[in-house]
Amino acid sequence: MEEDQLEKFVVAYLKKKGFKQAEHAFQEELQQHQSKNNSSSSISTNSITDPDFAKHLLSFSEFESVVARYQDGYSKLRSWTYSSLDLYKHELLRVLYPVFIHCFMDLVVKGHIQGARTFFNSFREDHEMMHSRDLQKLEGVLSPSHLEEMEFAHSLRHSKVKIKICQYTYELLLQYLHKTQLTIMLGIINEHINFQVSPGQPISISDDTEVVTLIGSSQDEATQINQKEIQWGLLEDSLEERLEKSGVLLSDSEKAEGETKEGELDENKKRSVEGGKQGTSTKKLKKDKAASAMGKTGRPEANAVITAPRVKPELALPVISTEVEKSILEDLRNRVQLSSVSLPSVNFYTFINTHNGLNCSSISHDGSLVAGGFSDSSLKVWDMAKLGQEAVGSVLQGENDTTSSEYVLGSNGGKRSYTLFQGHSGPVYSATFSPLGDFLLSSSADSTVRLWSTTMNANLVCYKGHNYPVWDVQFSPLGHYFASASHDRTARIWSMDRIQPLRIMAGHLSDVDCVQWHVNCNYIATGSSDKTVRLWDVQSGECVRIFIGHRSMVLSLAMSSDGRYMASGDEDGAIMMWDLSSGRCVTPLMGHTSCVWSLAFSCEGSLLASGSADCTVKLWDVTASTKVPKTEENKSGNTNRLRSLRTLPTKSSPVYALRFSRRNLLFAAGVLSKSV
Amino acid sequence: MSIVPKEAIEVIAQSIGITNLSPEVALALAPDVEYRVREIMQEAIKCMRHSRRTSLTADDVDSALKLRNVEPIYGFTSGDPLRFKRAAGHKDLFYIDDKDVEFKDVFEAPLAKAPLDTSVNTHWLAIEGVQPAIPENALVEVPSDGKKSEYTEVLIDLKLPVKHVLSGELRLYFKHITELTVNKPGSVLFKEALVSLATDSGLHPLVPYFIYFIADEVTRNLNDFPLLFALMRVVRSLLRNPHIHIDPYLHQLMPSVITCLVAKRLGNRSSDNHWELRNFTANIVASICKRFGHAYYNLQPRVTRTLLHAFLDPTKALPQHYGAIQGLAALGPSVVRLLILPNLEPYLQLLAPEMILEKQKNEMKRHEAWRVYGALLCAAGQCIYDRVKMFPGLLSPPTRAIWKTNAKVVPTMPKKRKASTDNLMHQPSLKKVATDGKMGAIPMNSMQIDTQGTTGGYSTAAGGSGVGLSSMSRQLPTENMPGREVGGRVVKTSTALSQAWKEDMDAGQMLASLFVLFGESVFAFTPKPELSFFL
Repeated sequence: MEEDQLEKFVVAYLKKKGFKQAEHAFQEELQQHQSKNNSSSSISTNSITDPDFAKHLLSFSEFESVVARYQDGYSKLRSWTYSSLDLYKHELLRVLYPVFIHCFMDLVVKGHIQGARTFFNSFREDHEMMHSRDLQKLEGVLSPSHLEEMEFAHSLRHSKVKIKICQYTYELLLQYLHKTQLTIMLGIINEHINFQVSPGQPISISDDTEVVTLIGSSQDEATQINQKEIQWGLLEDSLEERLEKSGVLLSDSEKAEGETKEGELDENKKRSVEGGKQGTSTKKLKKDKAASAMGKTGRPEANAVITAPRVKPELALPVISTEVEKSILEDLRNRVQLSSVSLPSVNFYTFINTHNGLNCSSISHDGSLVAGGFSDSSLKVWDMAKLGQEAVGSVLQGENDTTSSEYVLGSNGGKRSYTLFQGHSGPVYSATFSPLGDFLLSSSADSTVRLWSTTMNANLVCYKGHNYPVWDVQFSPLGHYFASASHDRTARIWSMDRIQPLRIMAGHLSDVDCVQWHVNCNYIATGSSDKTVRLWDVQSGECVRIFIGHRSMVLSLAMSSDGRYMASGDEDGAIMMWDLSSGRCVTPLMGHTSCVWSLAFSCEGSLLASGSADCTVKLWDVTASTKVPKTEENKSGNTNRLRSLRTLPTKSSPVYALRFSRRNLLFAAGVLSKSV
Repeated sequence: MSIVPKEAIEVIAQSIGITNLSPEVALALAPDVEYRVREIMQEAIKCMRHSRRTSLTADDVDSALKLRNVEPIYGFTSGDPLRFKRAAGHKDLFYIDDKDVEFKDVFEAPLAKAPLDTSVNTHWLAIEGVQPAIPENALVEVPSDGKKSEYTEVLIDLKLPVKHVLSGELRLYFKHITELTVNKPGSVLFKEALVSLATDSGLHPLVPYFIYFIADEVTRNLNDFPLLFALMRVVRSLLRNPHIHIDPYLHQLMPSVITCLVAKRLGNRSSDNHWELRNFTANIVASICKRFGHAYYNLQPRVTRTLLHAFLDPTKALPQHYGAIQGLAALGPSVVRLLILPNLEPYLQLLAPEMILEKQKNEMKRHEAWRVYGALLCAAGQCIYDRVKMFPGLLSPPTRAIWKTNAKVVPTMPKKRKASTDNLMHQPSLKKVATDGKMGAIPMNSMQIDTQGTTGGYSTAAGGSGVGLSSMSRQLPTENMPGREVGGRVVKTSTALSQAWKEDMDAGQMLASLFVLFGESVFAFTPKPELSFFL
């Protein structure tokens, strides 16, 4: 090894790294050294160098070939992975994706934009199926500054991906990397991948969901958050409970259910004693004892049918007037029991002549009022009771008229069939009725939420707080409180009587697209464009759960009536059922081919209805979906079909809203769109 | 390297008045422009999703620009998605068709119609999970509309292959067969035709026509006995043909067959031996149930239900009862045991007066009653035979002592039983011969002879069983000492019975009660099934 060469390498290295001053200094020193050398003509001792070192230096000197080495290294690793044993292949394949994107980002950071592009395009097909959306985002990265600016890329670079891998696969991989001297790949793997090496057999493919999404926040944090305790039980002393206690239900099965629930109270009591969180009065304790004595007979049943425990509300809840209470109780008594064999009746509200302007729709709890939010900033409310009368009248008038629906429109003349609410100054993105239907909330692109009275037909309050369009607003199950979700990446809790938000939930890495209350009003769930769903404690404002698994923007959420499960629907048409207490996905429900706009659980929680842009309403069997263990159902793919009970196609009407009435009648709303 | 080439940047720069843009600037701007465009599109897609749409509009891009505090691009907003046109000659170049509009035309054009106001219609998407067909009410929006048209299309598609063309040979064959069936059911040629029907492999296209022909002829010619018989023979031949898949037509075939089994009148002359037809048809029904019962699990239940209704309905005529009994009996002993035996006692009580000369003066009716009685007897006998065949397995351990001795009895029994069942089976035919002979020879006014004939027929049967009985009773005392007491008693009664039988027509009544007694004790006493066998 010539010393000259070595010096050249050093110079090249310094140049490459941009150490100009050092380079200058080095060259000056070199010249001095040379002049000295000439005089002394002694050869320095460090001329003995091992070839390895030289090779390393050589590699540094090859300024232009960096791209080629990345490409070469990755393609070697890739071909090795694809030719590996089937048993270990899927685990090794998981490693490829993070290596791929980090190779790409490294190249971008080093300024090889063109090289990064070619690299990206030559291998992107491998990951297109699983990560198409991430790739679309990364595709646009064209300079190092973009990497810094783009939150997704930024978070990727600053967090490690956790990959579960079995011992043998891990050794295989390291051996290969060392043997072939793919130092760059090794470096990337060391830097960005955190291996969780497990002894024994490779993990089955079905557990893949965790690796599917590379989220911004580290997965450790998510698991840590998900360990927090949550009280997912139903509110104690709710109307349903009172109904069960009073025993007015004639049906025997319902009575039995009531008893088991009371049996469960006993457990709840124990829990409350242990936790001390739910201070229970002695009177209540006595009542519980009585209940448990009663419940003992039905003990085995109670174990079989695990019903929801009761929790205390953390918010001061509004008082319900006795008349309203009576009417609700009446509804509950007349509730139709739904199950996989007795499906609900579905009433469909079709918006016509919207001229592509309808942004959202909402149906009141009794289905009598339907609201539509339009892109022209207006909010329109239809009273179905009135509409029905008119329709009947017109039918009586013109029985011979075959197209009498148009006749209805004509007969109305100048009079509108709806109530128009004007006040927003931007497209209305969401609307929600209060539980009793007397108030209506709407959120808009003008970053405000407005409260309207449906009895007075007037705007009451304008809530200003968000800085960006408010995508979603939802009344709490008992009214008074509401939650909003916005482009400003926060969700906020409000009460009707205050113009400032009570809580601000911040944590999502992108827009908060949808929000939903838990049945016990103590939590809200938010779905975001960062592909996660989070659960927040309303009282403390803390994030208590992160649900990771969606592959695209989360568009809709629904909470089961027993408070145990949550369903979320995304842009791709996937619906995920989550267990709130464990924070894990119980089962993915595949079937829709396009955005799931709306989800609704039936009142006793046995059915889930989903409405989608693919013009269908699907009914899913919740009990079957939640019972099947995750591993099993993934193995046998066809179980999915069993859980989808019925698909109800509409006539080219994407389904915007769904609502189960208290009597378990399903209302759906959609817009007739010719183009679909 | 980026989608936006630097030339595009230069062009844009020129268009806004920057002429001296250095190439480096353009090169640096190009990737950034691409990044910003992507960023805006991402926001625009979010706006699109929140507007519950799946196609991007200019509005969405405007909203996205607003979100970024950028002035929106005015002039592209429209209610509908933009319609792009492909530039001729370029694969990936699109433009919006922007026509020049003459002011004059705009001014002179009549006022455009005001757009219809938004409204909401309501309909049932599903009722208890089932989507209703088109309601005739005023709703425009019926989801089934679209589906309905699809369905009709599908139906049309399905109908096309049904319009197949029968070859001339097949048509000729069908014509000949049907003519033979109608006109010459007794001929040798018809027998040949039946063989052909049972074996020919190319007949499948004709099956629906045959089924229709049979159904049609049966409904029209219920009083034409020879024809009915011929039709049933055709049915049997078709069923026998291994090349025909008759399954899809069973539902059309069964009514005709059942009709020939339990119709009130088959044939109009008294000489028509409709009993035989009923027997024949019963066997057909049984064979159908046996063959297709696995695939169509509700076939046999439906058949038995129909037959049982006919059997238990006292308003039905006796020949109908006879047909029903024969049909049920042909379906197997277990059907008999489950359906006939429990109803036997009340039925026999009903039947008894019909059989007695004093009470039923109409000789024809009485004859029918005896026929029914014979059928019942036969059915019950078969059933008991079946029971006894299972007998060794039923025996419980405490009766082992009996078992030991009985073991010797059992092997001897089948033959004997067979003999006596044969006897029983023969009995109707014997009797038939007797009665037929008599009826055929002598006009029916001779009540005396006729009565003798019927009683004679039964007396032979009773005699036969009496012989069997006596041989059995002889065996029992010698070999089966513990069972003798019971057996002996029964033997006595039965011998007494057989005596009484000859003398008294009322024997049926006693016999019925005896049988019921036996039926109940079949499980408890080992020798009794054997005895019951004599019935």
